[in-house]
Amino acid sequence: MRSRDGNCTLSCKLCTLILLSSLALNASEYLISYRYVVKDTILYNETLQISKAMQICEGIPQESLTLPSSGTKDIKKIIHTNMENFVAYIHKLGISVEHEEKNINYQNKSTIILTMHTTCFKVDFNDNFAKITPLK
Amino acid sequence: MKYSLILLTLLSTASFSDAVDKVQMAPQPSTVNVVCPTGSCTKASAVQKVEVINPVSMYTPKPKEDVLSVDSSLRIDVIGQGVAPMNTASPAQAYALAKRAATADAYRLIAEKVKGVRIEGDDLIKNMMVQRSTVRTTVRAMVRNANVVETTFKDGLCEVEMEIVLSHANFAR
Repeated sequence: MRSRDGNCTLSCKLCTLILLSSLALNASEYLISYRYVVKDTILYNETLQISKAMQICEGIPQESLTLPSSGTKDIKKIIHTNMENFVAYIHKLGISVEHEEKNINYQNKSTIILTMHTTCFKVDFNDNFAKITPLK
Repeated sequence: MKYSLILLTLLSTASFSDAVDKVQMAPQPSTVNVVCPTGSCTKASAVQKVEVINPVSMYTPKPKEDVLSVDSSLRIDVIGQGVAPMNTASPAQAYALAKRAATADAYRLIAEKVKGVRIEGDDLIKNMMVQRSTVRTTVRAMVRNANVVETTFKDGLCEVEMEIVLSHANFAR
């Protein structure tokens, strides 16, 4: 037969576990990556990946960007609405450039890949604005 | 007698060092020296004229390269070009896509200028004929804090002028 104290300890442990896991699922931190490919001076492919962070991000906050959110808390929608501003901001943060050019029998083929590696962003939702801050 | 010998030795060494100094002196630019190969030239035809060009005059100064020094910054300007695809829904979409491509090209040019290009070349020759000639160039770099100065879009071609200011303090090493 279990003692009363033992059951209490078990429930306490469960509560702590639930509390910690809920803290770990911090809704205001997102992982964002961006990549686009240009082949022969024509844009070939563009990918923007956004997902919620499953762990608390560590890092020093960098220069932030404020985007109009018009009441919504859907970061994907906010970013897609202000895509041009966000892409310009990503470029400022730093982007990895990979370029490969092949010249076979005097015929040229070039590929440029610009990548922003997966970075954790802290997002603060205010009334009509979302403040996006990268943590590095 | 002993002192006279020492004096003679000193005088001979001094004259030898003078001769050595004369040999080591750089000739004047485009000087004509008269040389007698046999040692005793009696006829004028036996005398040879040798023109010596001063190596200092052959030296051409290298063009001044842009070098990032500690106390100054270096600005690099590039113009990237991009073309819109054929099957675009609207001119606005064409502009947006061409601008993105031009930006990527400008970033590539900055990376080329700052970090450099890796070049590999292969030529396949069979029966004294070039079968295949291949040149591969690759660039890998991380660029940050580059600014778009101007964007123009004309006849389907988008040009993005971009600049980056490099300083010794924030240059990633």
